[in-house]
Amino acid sequence: MKKSRCAASVAALVAGLAFAGAANSQTIEFWTQHYADKLNWNAAIAELIEDFEAESGIQVNHEVVPWSAAFQTWLTVARGGAHPDCADMYWLHSFSAIGGDQYGPMPINEYRDEFPTLEQDFYSGALRDVIWQEDFYGIPWRGDIRAMIYRTDVAAEVGIAGPPETWDEIIEYAKKMTKRDENGNIERWGFAFGSASNVVSWLLPYYWQAGGEMMTEDGKTATIDNDAMRAALSFMRDLIWEHEVVNEDSMEQGFDALPLFVNGKIGIIGSAHQAWGVRLDREYPEIDGTWAMARSAMGPDNRSSFSGAGYIGVLRGSENAKECVEWMKFLSRDENMLRLSKASGAVGTKPAVMGSDFWSDRPWKVIVGQALEDAHTSQHPAPAWSSIATPKPGAVLFDLMYDTIILQKDMDAAIAKAQERMQAELTR
Amino acid sequence: MTSATAFPVAKSRTRAGDALTKAVIYIALAMMLVYLLLPVYWMIKSSFQSNFEIQRIPPLWLPADPTLKPYENAGLLIPMWRYIYNSLFVSAMTAFIASGISCTAAYVLARFRFPGATLILALILITQLVPPITRVFPVYFLIQSFGMLNTYSGLIFAYVGFSVPFAVLLLRGYFQTSCPPELEEAALMDGCTYFSAFWRVILPVSLPGIAAVTIFTFLNAWNDFLWASLLLSSGEMKTIQVGIGEFSTEGGSTEYQNAFMAACVVSTLPALILFFFVQRWLVGGLTAGAVKA
Amino acid sequence: MNEKNIFCYIMVAPALIITMLLGIYPMFASMFISFRTYDLLNVQERGSHWVGLRNYYTVFADERFVQTVIQTILFTVLAVGISVAMGLFLAQIINARFRGLAVLRTLILVPWFVPPAIASVIWIWLLNTDLSPINSLLRDMGWTTRNIRFLTDSSTWGPISIPMLAIVAVRVWNGLPFIIIFLLAGLQSVPKDYYEAAEIDGANIVQKFIHVTLPMLKPVLLILLALLFMGGIGHFEMNFIMTGGGPRNLTNVMAVYAYNQGFLFFKFDQAAAASGVILMMSSVICVFYMWAQSRDNLR
Repeated sequence: MKKSRCAASVAALVAGLAFAGAANSQTIEFWTQHYADKLNWNAAIAELIEDFEAESGIQVNHEVVPWSAAFQTWLTVARGGAHPDCADMYWLHSFSAIGGDQYGPMPINEYRDEFPTLEQDFYSGALRDVIWQEDFYGIPWRGDIRAMIYRTDVAAEVGIAGPPETWDEIIEYAKKMTKRDENGNIERWGFAFGSASNVVSWLLPYYWQAGGEMMTEDGKTATIDNDAMRAALSFMRDLIWEHEVVNEDSMEQGFDALPLFVNGKIGIIGSAHQAWGVRLDREYPEIDGTWAMARSAMGPDNRSSFSGAGYIGVLRGSENAKECVEWMKFLSRDENMLRLSKASGAVGTKPAVMGSDFWSDRPWKVIVGQALEDAHTSQHPAPAWSSIATPKPGAVLFDLMYDTIILQKDMDAAIAKAQERMQAELTR
Repeated sequence: MTSATAFPVAKSRTRAGDALTKAVIYIALAMMLVYLLLPVYWMIKSSFQSNFEIQRIPPLWLPADPTLKPYENAGLLIPMWRYIYNSLFVSAMTAFIASGISCTAAYVLARFRFPGATLILALILITQLVPPITRVFPVYFLIQSFGMLNTYSGLIFAYVGFSVPFAVLLLRGYFQTSCPPELEEAALMDGCTYFSAFWRVILPVSLPGIAAVTIFTFLNAWNDFLWASLLLSSGEMKTIQVGIGEFSTEGGSTEYQNAFMAACVVSTLPALILFFFVQRWLVGGLTAGAVKA
Repeated sequence: MNEKNIFCYIMVAPALIITMLLGIYPMFASMFISFRTYDLLNVQERGSHWVGLRNYYTVFADERFVQTVIQTILFTVLAVGISVAMGLFLAQIINARFRGLAVLRTLILVPWFVPPAIASVIWIWLLNTDLSPINSLLRDMGWTTRNIRFLTDSSTWGPISIPMLAIVAVRVWNGLPFIIIFLLAGLQSVPKDYYEAAEIDGANIVQKFIHVTLPMLKPVLLILLALLFMGGIGHFEMNFIMTGGGPRNLTNVMAVYAYNQGFLFFKFDQAAAASGVILMMSSVICVFYMWAQSRDNLR
């Protein structure tokens, strides 16, 4: 039994090789992760590929990299592993540094002129993700904006009319929404900092809202030892210990706000993935009508929202850069960017996309569009940023947050130490 | 037989003592079964519920509104059956090859003295000392340099390489105790070559050990995610574990939880079924345990 | 070289070659890095140079690492001890003959068919403070009033904490079937008439176990314990997926530490040093095993 199976696969392999050899005319390898609307993602890409091929004669082979393997895959690529011609990527700065001149993302300055209206067409925050050390690497295609999300039924139950608009209102509303049973077990948390397990992404918006920035423009100096940091950390710490509206375990691994929110066990989430809108619509129709999104609350200085992005770029070692750029040009057209946005559920990187009907047919989508005006990019121009911001113990920002917010250690000392450590990281 | 007679003869068995021991055993067994089966039950139960039901607080121990939709979705979201076939192929080949070369090596290491045997054993043992994580890049680039990336043979090669040391050690221990030397000597005196003595005499009585090694290697290959995602990542060739990994989102949580559970349930079935078949070589039946001294 | 030796070398060759390629070579590659600098973020421009034992000093100077080492040993001892004890018990049961055996046997071995990654996801759910069905059951039955924070409670008794015990429970759960099968194959080779003789001599269930089963299983147990300890010291998956080493480093083990250093902070030199420490500790166990083995008779 095994022999025939073996023979069959050998035959398949040989056939595959022969076929690959025959199709040597302009085929490019294109990898992407997969996105919220997984059922439609592959189909949507396949359609785009078909249209592109009809137009240009270039074939595109699409591979999906699952998120659970994504980081490992790109790290391996940056170290010299097998790579595609172009791909949907992220963390440009870190992977560039790791790959050096030989591997990883490829700068495509010589094709810059193929995108003459880049600055006008795209959000400026999104463009920061594709330019590094003055080199141009690709086109941003998806955004990741965080907004507030809250249970309208819980709000109605405790007599609140709308979402909190300021930090003080957060405290007030969260206190009203928090409920405990007679044994002290929590029945409902009034507030949760964020939806993602990336706890550092919870601190950043509050720090920005207090007026702070993580580092200088050149990425060489850390700037976190200031009052804004104190304000942000104190705010978060007090929410847990003084006002008792946030779960002290939220910084531990495995904290998942989604099931709690779905069950009405959390009233407000401060910084929720916009993709939640898609997920809640699709996977939890039972709670339709009981939740809504809102813009981030106003901090002492502004109401910045966390925003990230992904881009499509070329990999070093590819011999098909020209064809890849054609593919990227095709994708960057308004209507195709809209198709990508629809399929992935992620916000687009062009105002043209966000102004479409698709992004206004649900109330939460309208809010997301508004939140884009508050967007503050989470990309920082330093390769060590991903190491600094990684949400695990031992990382600079995680330790800072944990020491001050959870362990309530002396804030000035902790911030000073974090500044020192971060500076050391930036000069690696 | 010496240890068997070392009982204080005066201590007689009481019926009550025996019954008490039996009762304790049953209770302990029941508790352990709950412990062993709880997550599996949860997995199976969740595969018949809607996402909302799975997340309910307080939790639902039985599906309130059972549905087969998750299974349908699982097949739509990922090419489940193709992935299972891939896993079957890779794991079966791994088990077959690894068992084969481990048997031969373990046999001579167990029952023969030859120059270098201790060194070879030490080398094999040493490889067990390193955590798999540290092998990632060296092995990846090694396989890349052989041109075997994204091929079934590359992944099988890796799996066999990782399973062999452990299989050799296991089988060696087994070969040492499973068979008295008289059997081999008899065969050799009858004119068998070393190899046919091995093939005809030792192997048949060592089936439980070999069956165990086969199951181990198969399951290790079947359950692995790290290497499958690194070494065999193109399109339709992925294994089922990598396929299941596609359910995790950027944030690390699982989307389509019910379909995910359904896919998990389906992915455990082939190994379970195979186990049913190999089971009878593993326990009872053909072993020649009752060799009289 | 006589015929016997040639036969032996041929039989051992394939296993040896593949072990060298996929086991020894990566190990040396990693050890090599542990004596050099290797910061992934700047290795392309600055390269890598020899620093001797400096990485090891750095790693041991991190108080988290020292705590991690102690915890690794504790985790391994607990997990191996409990699972071998339970395994012996359950293997005996499977070995007996009674109706419904095939069903029971399969049920006991079911955890094996669930890959560690998937099992962790399910266990995380079962042990999540607010969502856990276990907590909800315990409260319904009135045994507890507050939810047990299985994976996040940071109170400790010495080095032991609830999350540690929770993860030990999961590791035992995942490792049991393997141990049972292993012991089962060993139990099969205990001649039945030894038990008969013991019964004639008046031994009860417990005594039969202690005086017949255990001595006969000694070589198998020895290997099993050696393998489990060596593997346990380098265990990665459960701790990583379930708690990532938290809360407050209480469930960290060396393999997770090494992973974090290498893949999250891009400090491959320190990751290699941590792996080197794992290697040293496993070697101690290995040497002990070889010594115990060398007392056996070989042909």
